[in-house]
Amino acid sequence: MYHIVVCIKAVPDPKQADQIRIDPVSKTLKRSEVPLVLNPLDKHAMEAALHFKETSEAFVTAISMGPPEAGNIVKECLALGADQGILLSDRTFAGSDTYATALTLARGIEKIGRYDLILCGMASSDGGTEWVGPQIAAFLGIPVVTMVEELTETGPEIWKVKASIENGYRLMQVKLPAIFTVTRTLNSPRVLSFSGIIKARKKQILCWSASDLGAAEDTVGLLGSPTVVSTMTTRSSRRQVEIINGTSEEKAEILVQKLADAGLV
Amino acid sequence: MDFTFTEEQEMFKKAAREFAEIKLTPWVAEMEATGKVCDAVVKALAEAEMMALTVPEEYGGLGLGYTARMIALEEISRISVATAMMLQVFALGIEPIVKFGNETQKHKYLPDLAAGKRLSTTAVTEPTGGSDPTGARTTYRKDGDHYIINGRKCFITNSHIADTLTILVKDEADPKAFSTFIIEKDMPGFKATHEENKIGMRGCNTGELSFEDLRVSKEQLLGPEGKGLRVAMAAIGDVGRGGMVGCALGLQVACLEASVKFANERILYGKPISQLQSIQNKLAEMKVDLDAGRLLAYRAVSLQDKGQNASNEFAVAKYFTTEATQKAAKMAVDIHGGYGCMVEYPVTRYLRDAFVLGPSAGTSDIMKVIIARWVLS
Amino acid sequence: MLIPADDRLMKVFRKRKDQKMTREGACNPIWVFAEQAEGQIQDVSLQLVGKARELARALNTTVEVILLGCGMKDQVQFLFAAGADRIYLGDAPVLKWYEPEIYTQMIVSLAEEKKPEIMLIGSTCTGRELAPMVAARLKTGLTAHCIDLLINETRILEQWIPAYGGLISIICPKNRPQMATVARGVFPRPTMDENRHGDVVMLDIPTNIPGRIQTLQVVRREPETVPLESAAIVVAGGVGAGNEEGWRQIAALARALHAALGCTRPVVDEGWAGHETMIGQSGKMVSPELYIGIGLSGELQHLIGVVSAKVMVAVNKDARSPVFEQVDYGIVEDCRTFVPLLIEKINVYRSRQAGA
Repeated sequence: MYHIVVCIKAVPDPKQADQIRIDPVSKTLKRSEVPLVLNPLDKHAMEAALHFKETSEAFVTAISMGPPEAGNIVKECLALGADQGILLSDRTFAGSDTYATALTLARGIEKIGRYDLILCGMASSDGGTEWVGPQIAAFLGIPVVTMVEELTETGPEIWKVKASIENGYRLMQVKLPAIFTVTRTLNSPRVLSFSGIIKARKKQILCWSASDLGAAEDTVGLLGSPTVVSTMTTRSSRRQVEIINGTSEEKAEILVQKLADAGLV
Repeated sequence: MDFTFTEEQEMFKKAAREFAEIKLTPWVAEMEATGKVCDAVVKALAEAEMMALTVPEEYGGLGLGYTARMIALEEISRISVATAMMLQVFALGIEPIVKFGNETQKHKYLPDLAAGKRLSTTAVTEPTGGSDPTGARTTYRKDGDHYIINGRKCFITNSHIADTLTILVKDEADPKAFSTFIIEKDMPGFKATHEENKIGMRGCNTGELSFEDLRVSKEQLLGPEGKGLRVAMAAIGDVGRGGMVGCALGLQVACLEASVKFANERILYGKPISQLQSIQNKLAEMKVDLDAGRLLAYRAVSLQDKGQNASNEFAVAKYFTTEATQKAAKMAVDIHGGYGCMVEYPVTRYLRDAFVLGPSAGTSDIMKVIIARWVLS
Repeated sequence: MLIPADDRLMKVFRKRKDQKMTREGACNPIWVFAEQAEGQIQDVSLQLVGKARELARALNTTVEVILLGCGMKDQVQFLFAAGADRIYLGDAPVLKWYEPEIYTQMIVSLAEEKKPEIMLIGSTCTGRELAPMVAARLKTGLTAHCIDLLINETRILEQWIPAYGGLISIICPKNRPQMATVARGVFPRPTMDENRHGDVVMLDIPTNIPGRIQTLQVVRREPETVPLESAAIVVAGGVGAGNEEGWRQIAALARALHAALGCTRPVVDEGWAGHETMIGQSGKMVSPELYIGIGLSGELQHLIGVVSAKVMVAVNKDARSPVFEQVDYGIVEDCRTFVPLLIEKINVYRSRQAGA
């Protein structure tokens, strides 16, 4: 039976995330009460795990590194069908860059014990680096394929994976354990169901702190991050806009004429 | 007193919202255009286990309480009031069987009803009035082990799609005695006749039923013979009114959201109209009514979940929320200005849907009679 | 990457920032991983070598390039012409395609031995998988999708990215190499100096590769349209399109103007267009003559992808939209009604020109 681990992240709701902005005067981050939701691409990773569980035997763990509020999205994954949830949460994890995040998640996954397949969304909607999947792979010493569009098990622990590349795709053959980071095109995530929410009542969420992971303070969070933010600034606009006025017809005509004059039509 | 949802209730709300936004939105336009029930919508409701919410677990339901039901109805109504109405009446037909059915009846009907394989409704209203069931003319007479039913019901939601109906019928011999029966669509003598064409809640079927020497066996009697009024009213009082409250709240949320969105985008005098005090006044009123309505709703369902009778609290909530929704819809249309008369803008539908909320499950005037009775008792 | 939230962490953050890394004289070389596909060195790699040359001058050091492939010996001259001083060349059939285990192993062993000061990798699909693995193995930091790189007064590489409506610079104060990925088009193609030469060091192919992953096949399609990065006219659409129908109108406008069609991230999230047409920080960088933004709000994450444009135009129904501060011509109209009108006027103009 496969043990599938899905790495999930609680992110500010992408539909409201542009409320979090750098203040042009103080040059610091203006915090905003944007609610946390499950990272959209992680839903596809979760769906891949649950889909596999429907056709073959599998045990699915959802794991996340985040503040205590991230527990809600771990609960949501249990309601979707994951068997157990793990929240890695500790004040010392704050300020983590992708290195520290990936290392912490890798430690959490190692603590779980056995794992066959690790899935995560290709990127998070807030950080968007695409680093965490490959870095967990490096720390665990297992193969990774990023930007996965199709997954097929072709033999015991052998998977054929189609990954997106510029203007095409590559086909990889991978021996488990391995990590796959997934794209939107992989599947259509299921929605929460009421019976799933009821079944989640009996499932457990383990909460692990830095000491549960045996992680020294200088290997996590800001102290464990090789990179750090140096300066914040706002970009000043460099163009003077001319608003074209008139009726809609006139505006369209004026624009076409301006473009024509510049030799662009 | 904790006025917040539990973590689990928040998840129910989220699940219901996702369901409504993803599965129902694509069908709203078709329902508006045809006024007819959309099979795809019924199927989606069944797949999302929406008919199973209030059916006990031992009969194949989810055994969730009425708070979960209110949460679901609110979210569904926000996208489609017609769908929420159809769903709430399914529960209305299920409730008498849950409360008064014998084991045979419960095992026969509830699992299929929970799965959406059978669709239900409760039929009380007649041309002689719905608020006054004692004036009913649909009657039954006993014939050995059977009953023979004759008469008509009207303004029945789900009349043409329900295959399992709980109907309230008067004893031909004794005008003070009523009985409730479970009848099935294919029983000879039963017919769904005229279908109404409503200005609002289009996508939810309302129509007439006719009974001509409809012969039912005594197995179909629900609850004690002659005591059927209590059976039927138990459903309508709590579940029916509660369902209307859910429909009203969801529609109010939709009105407020549409108003805020439009007010932020519409530029007049160089700034969005949301900066104008007269618009802000309307938004404030809508918000107060919504919050107040929610408190009344969740007070009533929390009593109901404790097993207590809440029909008076529901009368208060039904009266308040359905009136408030009609006001909110009118305000939303006003905020939209000229656009509020254009069919492409959903607020025109909200206005029409809001009007149908009023007389459903008892008019506001009847609600006030009930509330006065409560105060004076 | 998160911004530190509380006072205790802010103190540490400021302390690390203030550590002055003053080193006089020379430092170790700047590396560029040059990506090849089907035997062709990718444009982004040449652009990065050019930038590395500039950074090397500021740090008084040299530029070295790693190139892995099969039969690439005659390609090394391009890298020297672009500004490389030395090339570490891995040349073997097993390196023909990007093979994750062996590529990572070769770069990591070489970096552990040579200890470069900085390593730059193109932000391609390959680069975005390879760079993080290399950085993790080297226990160093890596910044994604930089839109600028410069050496600051403490001789540290400042890695600039757009975030939260502004720009932030990230540094890797202690660990080495300082690593960054950069997309094609952010930096210009360097002036090629055909007379430059350097030395080529052949790399040994490692034999201890676990062999748990293999590339079975690489398939490329001919791009259907002019690639965004080289298009003269770019039409970019945002969620103001409203729905698929609105999106189709914007695509029609692009066709009418013989333009390449790009989009913003929310459009990709809606499913109207693919990730490969996304213009912005984690997508494509464009430098057209004309950029027209339709129904988009001018989020920095997107507009940062417009590296340069002679003329910029925006159509948005909200007069307060920030996009209007960043373009030359603005039209306050709902794109759902305006775009068809614009297409009509273009056709009228063209037929008049043809008739004249």
